[in-house]
Amino acid sequence: MNIKNVLLQFKEGLYKSRVELANKLVFLFSDSKDKSDFLEKLEELLILSDLGTSATVEIMNEFQQINFREYKENNFIFFKEKLKAILIDILNSTASNIEISEDRLNIIMLVGVNGSGKTSVAGKIAYRLKNINKDILLIPADTFRAAAIQQLKILADKVGVEMINTKEGADPASVVYDGLSAARVRKKNVVVIDTAGRLHTKINLMNELEKIKRVILKEANNSSLEILQTIDATMGQNAIAQAKSFNKSLGVTGIALTKMDGTAKGGIVIAIKKDLNIPVKLISCGEKLTNLYNFKADKFVEALLD
Amino acid sequence: MFDSLTNKFHAIFNKIRNKGKLNENDIKNCLHEIRIALLEADVNYKVVKEFINSLYDKIQQEKISESLTPTQQIIKIVNEEITETLGSKQNDIKMNSAPPIIIMMVGLQGTGKTTTAVKLASYFKKRGHQPLLIATDIYRPAAIEQLQVLGEKSNLPVFSIGKNESAVNIVKAAIKYSSKWNHDVLIIDTAGRLHIDDKLMNELQEIDKNIPLQEKLLIVDAMAGQDAVNSAKVFCDKIKVSGIILTKLDGDTRGGVALSLKKVLGVPIKFIGIGEKVDNFQLFHPERMASRILGMGDVLTLIEKVETAYNEDEIKKLDKKMKSQDFDLNDFYLQLKKMKDIGSVDQIVDMVPGFNNLKNKIDITKLGDREGELKKIEAIISSMTVEERENPSIINGSRRKRISRGSGTQLSEINRLLKQFYQLKEMFKKGSKIKNFSFN
Repeated sequence: MNIKNVLLQFKEGLYKSRVELANKLVFLFSDSKDKSDFLEKLEELLILSDLGTSATVEIMNEFQQINFREYKENNFIFFKEKLKAILIDILNSTASNIEISEDRLNIIMLVGVNGSGKTSVAGKIAYRLKNINKDILLIPADTFRAAAIQQLKILADKVGVEMINTKEGADPASVVYDGLSAARVRKKNVVVIDTAGRLHTKINLMNELEKIKRVILKEANNSSLEILQTIDATMGQNAIAQAKSFNKSLGVTGIALTKMDGTAKGGIVIAIKKDLNIPVKLISCGEKLTNLYNFKADKFVEALLD
Repeated sequence: MFDSLTNKFHAIFNKIRNKGKLNENDIKNCLHEIRIALLEADVNYKVVKEFINSLYDKIQQEKISESLTPTQQIIKIVNEEITETLGSKQNDIKMNSAPPIIIMMVGLQGTGKTTTAVKLASYFKKRGHQPLLIATDIYRPAAIEQLQVLGEKSNLPVFSIGKNESAVNIVKAAIKYSSKWNHDVLIIDTAGRLHIDDKLMNELQEIDKNIPLQEKLLIVDAMAGQDAVNSAKVFCDKIKVSGIILTKLDGDTRGGVALSLKKVLGVPIKFIGIGEKVDNFQLFHPERMASRILGMGDVLTLIEKVETAYNEDEIKKLDKKMKSQDFDLNDFYLQLKKMKDIGSVDQIVDMVPGFNNLKNKIDITKLGDREGELKKIEAIISSMTVEERENPSIINGSRRKRISRGSGTQLSEINRLLKQFYQLKEMFKKGSKIKNFSFN
């Protein structure tokens, strides 16, 4: 995929939030009476972007030190660059994407709360990997939500990949077991497991996920396992609790940030990275199968502020 | 529900509780912390601003700084403010026009429209109505099937004519159909859409223009962040939304959205979704929600009860013991006895900030539920030697057998007691790490 195009689309999706944040930054300066007024506005702005308190506090600390008059005179470029540097610094870690190894089975398991976009992301991942000639099997482990299996089946047909069949109400762990056996027999490269949405506070349902993971480790211990948590970009601070809980149960290896095509600012990414150090790997930004992108910290922050 | 915000308020109030009088600075600090707590809970920043300003004015008016019981007064004012922010009266669905009553469900993707549509239909069915669900989500794969399956499970009829008709035409056909079968409540499940997707927003406006809608309900995810207010606003502007249903309140959301929407949009919250089952659905009661958020009655009651049960020296001693490791079975028994004077363990745990979260994980709540339970514990502990009481880790198998014979209880009961003791000890250890946890 052409990286420029990707960026362009990505930026387009971020356009609204970008304009909003950037405008506020200009406004922030021309409008501030004094330093404390400025700091209060900055705090508000960061909280409004769903950045979370600890990230906000850190950034605020940095700006406590500034010589307000100097910044004001140098217009807001100074300020923006500084903010950008701080945000990149928080997000910065080696860029991590989904790696597909050739020599063994790659298992991608999607988890997350209800309505965060697991099934759609499963379809998008399948589409992307199909395009680089991977042989993919989809496993519908969401046997709870009505018609979730049909939804995945429709996506599988659209992409042109196989999905193992099961029926509503089946035990998800045994569906995964069957799926992994099928993948072995059919010599697949990649297995994508779509699990049922669940609130992170439901202990029984989290146990169910842990069981699925145990089945995977037992049945395919030689494979590489990616546990991707979908997080809705419109979520507030609760997304941190979500990530914390899923991570504790499963050891989440990455986050797919979904619904970035709305006006939500996606600041929650910064909070999650800061609090839990779980890397964001994918960005889902639109309803088309093609609307899935690798996450890049610098581009993300740039798109947000430029 | 809202535990986190509740805990924050507990902590804030605890901080000022023991001050006889509050000076200007104390009040400012307290307000600042309330502000941060609300912002952290994803309450919209404009709402927070108004909330704090209004609080400040009231505190000034009531001359809190001269009051001898300032904390109680502040809690009272905060409670009033929260109730007001949530909307002061309860709102049901308006049923005052000629049937059929037509209700449209709208919202962003993944907020729970389809599930909620079924819950609402079931709510009406229970009240003797004949609801009909109408499937108009012609976009998302298998959305219509989802509604059909859910409807079937709850014995609710679903109207659908496939994906090739426009939403307006589907609804029109459904209205025709409904008059034949005497359906008096029609619930339209629409596709999830972004508020900035003009094409899909037009579709809603088309339905609104052509169909006499009694209610237009916006479904909002209770876990949503600051942007929730923005998207809700667009829905309200495009089709005059008449009510809000908050979903996924069964998680640990801090409820910021609940506090923001009514205030910013002027649209009442009508129902809440609190689980995956069809009947996990309730009318929204602002005043109940307010005291839930604050845990207000609880703080005051608990403080009073603790004060009558313990004197100050005892509290200090207990606090020290809890934090150190020499909390032993003697203390355990003493505490149980004291706690019984205060209330059931379950109730107390509910009232203590920071303990709510631990509650699910341990069965400490079963302790002391019944009179007999305490007597048994007394018998067991009395059958132990002094050494055993002070150092329970030495109680091995043969000692357990002896205690069992001595107290006339089952071995399993002794095991359970010891387990509960260790759990409580562990809980105290954790509790002491929670800031501002202790009462002195």
